[in-house]
Amino acid sequence: MRSKWRKIGLVALTVLLLGSAATVQRALNTQRATLGLTRIAPLENAPPMLAFTTVALGGFRGLIANALWIRANDLQNDGKYFEMVQLADWITKLEPTFAQVWIVQAWNMAYNISVKFPAGEDRWRWVLRGIELLRDGGLRYNPKEALIYRELAWFFQHKMGMNLDDAHLVYKYNWAVAMTNLFGGPKPNFDQLLNPSTEAERVRATRLRNEYKMDAQVMREVDGLYGPLDWRLPEAHAVYWGHIGLKYSKKTDLITLRRVVYQSMSLSVLRGRLISLDPMWFGPNLDRAERANQAYEQMIAEELESKQNVQNAHKNFLRELTYLSYSHNRLAEARRWFALLKEKYPDAVPPGLSMEEFSLQRIMGNFFDLGHDRTKALLEGLLVQYWISIAFADEDRSEEDRALGLESQARYLWNYYMQKMASRRNVLALPPFDEMKKSVLDMMLKPDGIDARIQTRLRAKLGIAAPAAEQKNPPSQ
Amino acid sequence: MQRCLAIALLTWKAAFRFRLFWVLTALLLLSVVLLPLLIKDDGTARGFTQILLTYTLSVITGLLGLATLWLACGTLAKDIEECQLQMVAVKPIARWQIWLGKWLGLVFLNLVLLAVAGASVYGLLHYRANRLPAREQQVLRREIMVARGSLKPPKPNLEAEVQRLFQQRVQQTRIPESEYPELRNQLMELVQAAQQVALPGYAKDWTIDIGLRRALLKDEPLFVRVKFFVAQTNATGSYLTRWQIGPPDRAQIQDLILAAETPHEFAIPPNLFDDQGRLFVRMFNGEPTTMVIPLDDGFEVLYREGGFGLNFLRGLLIIACWLALLAALGLAAATFLSFPVAAFFAVSILFVVLSSGTLATTITEGTILGVNHETQRPTAVWLDFMLLPVFKGLLAVINVVKDFSPVESLSTGRSITWLELLKAFGQIVLFMGGCVAALGMGILTRRELATAQPQV
Repeated sequence: MRSKWRKIGLVALTVLLLGSAATVQRALNTQRATLGLTRIAPLENAPPMLAFTTVALGGFRGLIANALWIRANDLQNDGKYFEMVQLADWITKLEPTFAQVWIVQAWNMAYNISVKFPAGEDRWRWVLRGIELLRDGGLRYNPKEALIYRELAWFFQHKMGMNLDDAHLVYKYNWAVAMTNLFGGPKPNFDQLLNPSTEAERVRATRLRNEYKMDAQVMREVDGLYGPLDWRLPEAHAVYWGHIGLKYSKKTDLITLRRVVYQSMSLSVLRGRLISLDPMWFGPNLDRAERANQAYEQMIAEELESKQNVQNAHKNFLRELTYLSYSHNRLAEARRWFALLKEKYPDAVPPGLSMEEFSLQRIMGNFFDLGHDRTKALLEGLLVQYWISIAFADEDRSEEDRALGLESQARYLWNYYMQKMASRRNVLALPPFDEMKKSVLDMMLKPDGIDARIQTRLRAKLGIAAPAAEQKNPPSQ
Repeated sequence: MQRCLAIALLTWKAAFRFRLFWVLTALLLLSVVLLPLLIKDDGTARGFTQILLTYTLSVITGLLGLATLWLACGTLAKDIEECQLQMVAVKPIARWQIWLGKWLGLVFLNLVLLAVAGASVYGLLHYRANRLPAREQQVLRREIMVARGSLKPPKPNLEAEVQRLFQQRVQQTRIPESEYPELRNQLMELVQAAQQVALPGYAKDWTIDIGLRRALLKDEPLFVRVKFFVAQTNATGSYLTRWQIGPPDRAQIQDLILAAETPHEFAIPPNLFDDQGRLFVRMFNGEPTTMVIPLDDGFEVLYREGGFGLNFLRGLLIIACWLALLAALGLAAATFLSFPVAAFFAVSILFVVLSSGTLATTITEGTILGVNHETQRPTAVWLDFMLLPVFKGLLAVINVVKDFSPVESLSTGRSITWLELLKAFGQIVLFMGGCVAALGMGILTRRELATAQPQV
């Protein structure tokens, strides 16, 4: 009997103590956060299994993560990558609020492991795994961590956008195809994505949100601020993630995020127009030059510690822009950028050089002293580019401008050379300009000439019939 | 023998009576069924098969290993503590026979459980493989679900070359005798380097003697596996190599851009060896940096040696050898310790075995607590003096058991030969297991069973 009352008393005491603890728990949690006593933020939005693991293992989580990390390292040294995704999943989930763990694991996949594979498609799988780890896992548990946004933006800008990786075209192609499928065409329709009315639109909006973890409203905001962007290209996504990261960045992270944004803006001008998906063909997007220049000037104004670095980048951007505008037959714009370059960075242009000469020097070096063979080679190079632009002119009006610009450059160079060689024309003359154009075209249309798909476009554009199939000798009697 | 089998049968009955058999069977089958749903693979059928093989076999080994230790400790220690062994010991059976009978019972139990788990893994692999597209099935059957043997170029006689150079140096220059070992080391490095490098724009040649296998390898594709390092890395991390494989008159040439510091495998057409069974392989270094192809694991040719089924069986049998040793270890511990202490002791031994990597690192570094970076001397010389020899001894013993890696071989499609299995049986079961068994039987024979007090 005594034992029974004792048990009831103990149960009552337990309930009383638990109830009291519950009443002060909230206040204690608030004070803990206010006084900075919480070294690791509580995990939010985690699945039950992960929440259980993190609580149940407590301080031992780190030890297990270390052991898994060592195993991953050993396997990687032996060239065994098949466990990497699983190990990275466990490691990151054991330390889900530690941003560096996500970043290092994702970097390892996208940069270190991907390049171990000779085939582009194999590499792409690992780059995508790295992106998914940051986007689907890292940001899920650390939605306000600017460093993860920066890293994600960097993967798009550098790993996919630049051409340092031999498989960069595979990455760009796969991403462009995925985005085209997602948007149901080359451009996203923001109204439809925000307010889908048909089933197909709803599927697209859901995929964008759930699969790609992107917000159509933020996309529209970014497109308005920095665009119009070509969302099939990696630069647009670099700007998107960098833009969100800027909202959450501390003062120390600001420069790295800004850099991602303005470098991606610069790339989206210099190579931000996807002319054709198959074959993959890019062109500059000069319509975006004004916005990109503004972004540079804003960064220079806001940057206090590394101003010189941003100015150097801006100087190079203006140089490139001058040449590109000139080569795209946008002469007024070319002159304006050239004037701005001279005004902001007087040392960037040798005195007395005209805009045309400056532009030609960008690709040809010092063309004043070019010999016969080098001039001919350069001219042929310009004319190859001219014909390629002609091939794509129907798909993209800017390519027609580019073709005109390239022809004008080639003609300028031809005239300059012929004038310089006026006294020795009998021995060092170039063929007539139109004849050179024709011979370059013939060379490109040979069976072993340029890419067959471009040949087909060129023939269609110029109305040239396809060569007849090789005739076979009749069988002998 | 009949007496041993009677005890083995009792152990079996106990396993069924305690429902251990059914619980373990259910756990093993559950792990085989659930693992494919839980694991994250690299997205390829090959990667999935590799990780499935690795994780299912690891889980099976882990589960059975722990259960074996637990059961081995429990079955004997409990019998002693609960005085049941006293009843058995008065029967016409020797104590060593009781020990052996229990061990045999555990081994048979493990064999059956391993067979059930192994068959389900095997069935699962084939079931999944058969649902793949034909091309991926072909890759699996060529690279993973196969037993591939390895052929390496003959090791050059480096010692003879080192000796020749050493004599030359000693005659040319006056070198103190105390410097001889260091000179030999340096010359060995020099000779090894000369054997391993492919200079920029130059080629590295290998000749593989296929020997009598050429009849079996007719029309069979072979695989070249290569791993190299570069003196100076480039921005892309990839390096151009040109491969010329086969006799000069019909050599196949292919260009490959490969990453450094990682093994690469690529298939080569069949029948590229000459009449004498020699396969000539030449790699041109197309980069402006020196490539280093290690002598040990830099180059090998892989060939199909047998099917996956037998290889898988041999792999399972090696795992069974480990389990037999664990059973012996648990039984030996239980002969002189109470059940909880014996279990703790046996698990601790297992932990030490699993930490052999740390032991090896400590021995390589020559210190336990590390080096004082200011004085460049070990922090605790006395500790190193005492423990390093112990570590070396431990590692030597552990390596006898750990020399075999059936899970790794199976997941990479490497052959586990009958000889390897025989070696594993000899080293793990006969030698190590025999030592542990002798210890356990000896202690049990000499132990005074009546002093064990039943728990109140």
